[in-house]
Amino acid sequence: MKNIFQDCSRIFMLDGAMGTQLQARGLKPGEIPELWNVRRPSDIRAVHEAYFAAGADAVYANTFGANGAKYHGDVPLEDIIAAGIDIAREAAHGKDVFVALDVGPTGRLLKPSGDFEFDAAYDAFAAQIRAGAAAGADFIAIETMGDTYELKAAVLAAKENSDLPVLATVALGDDGKLLTGADAECTAALLEGLRVDALGLNCGFGPDKMLEHVKRLARATTLPIAVKPNAGMPKIVDGRTVFTVSPEDFARDVAALVEAGASIAGGCCGTTPAHIAAVGERLRGVRPRPRTTGAAGRRSLVTSGCRAVEIPLNDTIIIGERINPTGKKKLKAALSEGDVAYVLREALAQVDAGAHILDVNTGVPGIDEPAVLDATIQAVQSVTDLPLQIDTSDPKALERALRHYNGKALINSVNGKEESMGTVLPIVAKYGGVTVALTLDESGIPPTAEGRLAIAKKILARGAEYGMTPDDFVIDVLSLAVSADSGSANTILSALELVRNELGCRTCLGVSNISFGLPARAQLNAAFYTMALARGLSAGIINPLSFEMMTAYRAYRALAAKDTACGEWIEACKDAPVKIEYRTAKNADMQEAGKAQPAESALSTSIRRGLKADAAAYAKESIANGTAPLEVIDREIVPALETVGKGFETGTMFLPQLLMAAEAAGAAFDAVRAALPQQDSAPAKGPVVIATVQGDIHDIGKNICRALLENYGFKTIDLGRDVPPETVLAAAKKANARLVGLSALMTTTVGAMEQTIKLLHSEMPDCKVTVGGAVLTADYAAKIGADNYSKDAMGLIRYAESIFGQ
Amino acid sequence: MTVELAEIARYMRMGRALPEGPLAARVLELRAEGLAAVRPARVWRRFDTAGGTIGADDLQIKIQGKLARHLECCGAAYLVCGTIGPQFDALLRRVSVNSAADALIVQAIGAALIEKYMDSTEDEIRRELAPGESLVQRYSPGYGDFPLAAQRELLALLDAPRTAGVSLTDTLLMVPSKSVSAVIGVKKGEEPK
Repeated sequence: MKNIFQDCSRIFMLDGAMGTQLQARGLKPGEIPELWNVRRPSDIRAVHEAYFAAGADAVYANTFGANGAKYHGDVPLEDIIAAGIDIAREAAHGKDVFVALDVGPTGRLLKPSGDFEFDAAYDAFAAQIRAGAAAGADFIAIETMGDTYELKAAVLAAKENSDLPVLATVALGDDGKLLTGADAECTAALLEGLRVDALGLNCGFGPDKMLEHVKRLARATTLPIAVKPNAGMPKIVDGRTVFTVSPEDFARDVAALVEAGASIAGGCCGTTPAHIAAVGERLRGVRPRPRTTGAAGRRSLVTSGCRAVEIPLNDTIIIGERINPTGKKKLKAALSEGDVAYVLREALAQVDAGAHILDVNTGVPGIDEPAVLDATIQAVQSVTDLPLQIDTSDPKALERALRHYNGKALINSVNGKEESMGTVLPIVAKYGGVTVALTLDESGIPPTAEGRLAIAKKILARGAEYGMTPDDFVIDVLSLAVSADSGSANTILSALELVRNELGCRTCLGVSNISFGLPARAQLNAAFYTMALARGLSAGIINPLSFEMMTAYRAYRALAAKDTACGEWIEACKDAPVKIEYRTAKNADMQEAGKAQPAESALSTSIRRGLKADAAAYAKESIANGTAPLEVIDREIVPALETVGKGFETGTMFLPQLLMAAEAAGAAFDAVRAALPQQDSAPAKGPVVIATVQGDIHDIGKNICRALLENYGFKTIDLGRDVPPETVLAAAKKANARLVGLSALMTTTVGAMEQTIKLLHSEMPDCKVTVGGAVLTADYAAKIGADNYSKDAMGLIRYAESIFGQ
Repeated sequence: MTVELAEIARYMRMGRALPEGPLAARVLELRAEGLAAVRPARVWRRFDTAGGTIGADDLQIKIQGKLARHLECCGAAYLVCGTIGPQFDALLRRVSVNSAADALIVQAIGAALIEKYMDSTEDEIRRELAPGESLVQRYSPGYGDFPLAAQRELLALLDAPRTAGVSLTDTLLMVPSKSVSAVIGVKKGEEPK
């Protein structure tokens, strides 16, 4: 279907507000506006007619909230939608104008901040869109979206359930961002990837404030841009909300938006047919500004829900490689056992170290990769805003992960084999994304740089058939061990340059393969990385926790004039001396503490004061000085922890201090454990299974309990939050647990707690259940059948000690 | 918008004690991160309460029980809802990965921030009052016998998902988690000091 928004000769005019028009006609607060499609159709028709008369080329049918998640009226949803489209069509009186199905948000907050599933949002939109398409809508207008994730669900639903053009607009806040944090650029990248027909902004603020964001959009996209601003910001006058920008002022400011690049214009809250008429008058004869590809078209952006990262042509970024189980025993085990916490710690360590994108690969033999990759990506996205590289060779896993990914992902990978191009490219074309293209095909990896260039060309040509440009690809010229072929590094470096110069394409490389089979790999990798950077590598897939690699990265950028005034280099180098000074200051502090309490060791002091790094360092030092590891535990760590625990119980120390001390003790434990031969390590007590019950998403109390339990030496299996009773039972059975801890914060979720206790008691009579949470009391806990109530986390420790022994 | 160390300490259940040393340093670091993640939004609306309800027809909050006693002598009431936004929850999730102590601190910072924000919201509302009117204390679903289920009507009457970005889970929790909703009565005469 041709893009109805791409008429170069004139501005495409949309209508103004529906909601505020209906309020003026008596819509009460909280009344469902869509019900007026059947209860007061003549009012709806009158609003549409007024907008058509004012010169609108298209009106939005009164279906903004007509999705199953939001709409709870007594008339079937399909009837409401059909009536809405019909009324708008009648109002056109046969004129050659358009009627849009209006699609607003579900009114639910999606996971991870809320409890609404992406697939549920999709289903709600899909039903609405099917009904709208069946009723004869001319295009789908998705609007007022404040969350990129919900926006993605709506666009996918539109694409998969109709052939209609899609116009998607979002509502920015005062900070120029969506509710969940994306800015105009980030949103544009997502929407371009999903291949909407036009995009833009509505609601949020007046046309004057919209200007800077439209300018940013115009630089970020070549798609037609729509604007539907409010008639200014709402003001309260005599207890009523009013919008005060006059039609003339509104039209003047909208004209400025058109000059900045918008070619579709209308109004949102507070605008009236007079506003639309004034805009039409003002823009009569105005042609849309030509939109050239220019610099914008030459960018390659990947995004998360709130951050866009450019894969640069003339600079370099880091893709953190650590979430990839190949050769990593602990990660493999974590993925197989569903230990999400381990994966999340790996993710955040790389974020802190300076990675720009994180690779996520969950390819462990024997696991359900589509499920695990999907879950892992959602979990990682819940704690970091870095864009991710979805790394899998399983097309099913790729599609599922890409569908649920919040943003526009980097995809690893496609290669020159017919089968790979035929399966991967259509998936990426559908969901959007930048794809890593491996320069290998049916005959393997070409031995020459020219051979690899040829495969890159082949993949780009196939991509073009799916509407992809060279900016939608990053070429991986593949590093091979120099130990096996002494010319391999030279070939790779030449290929990097060829791809860049001949194709104008960005490049990436899994750097560390080069040193396979050789000693001192870190040093070799860093040297090769530097060489590759000098030849124009856009993205190194490296370990950002490696000192050598990060030094090479920062040194290159300082030397290649990418790091203005060497600021980042100096900043990074500051770290080391600062640590030394910090340590000295702490020592002085320690000496002072030592005066007051001569018996306390530096290790005990650092635990008591909650200094993680110091506690670990002093524990190591004690062992290095010849103290037996178990003695460090028994004589220093445990007594220090006991002092803190008593301090908490007697009210001289508070919960945050207790937790910081426990975490410092945990760091010291880890240092000691590292010094112990495996079989000697003190056996952990437990296990204790803990969970926040079904329906409850407040898990801070449960997390505090986990931290204390772990740092007091109990093996703890944390099932997370919103956990169904059956899942708790299954985990407790599997671990053969003698103690389960449940938390609930709300009266509405205590019911789920009671059910969980009943289930555990009937199936595992020897297992004790202890409970805690804001709404609980000892009496209440007894009433719902709990064996124990802990008023705080320390209480839980004491109870656990009574069951497992100290 | 910012909050003092002492307020954060109260939400860390430290009573009148003030954080010091490493804890104080950590609180200040996390406060800076917390403030960067705040995206406040609020909505309020005045309703007549003469009919014994707030709202009407298929969407109304019945004024009964302890709420009725609370709103005694009030001819009108505001419904109000505010939040510091979903990005604060993202920060809370992130710090929870590595440290329950950090999570506890961020949680307290969030609680202090939303409380302060709601206080400032009340100040804004006071400016709308007619001469001689004053506000009674905020009263929220879940207090006393005011059912938590009234959250549904309260948020719907404010169109809160759209106007403030606050919605409910199936179990009636408000999300973003640092959000507050309440009924605030309007009465004739000075506020008690």
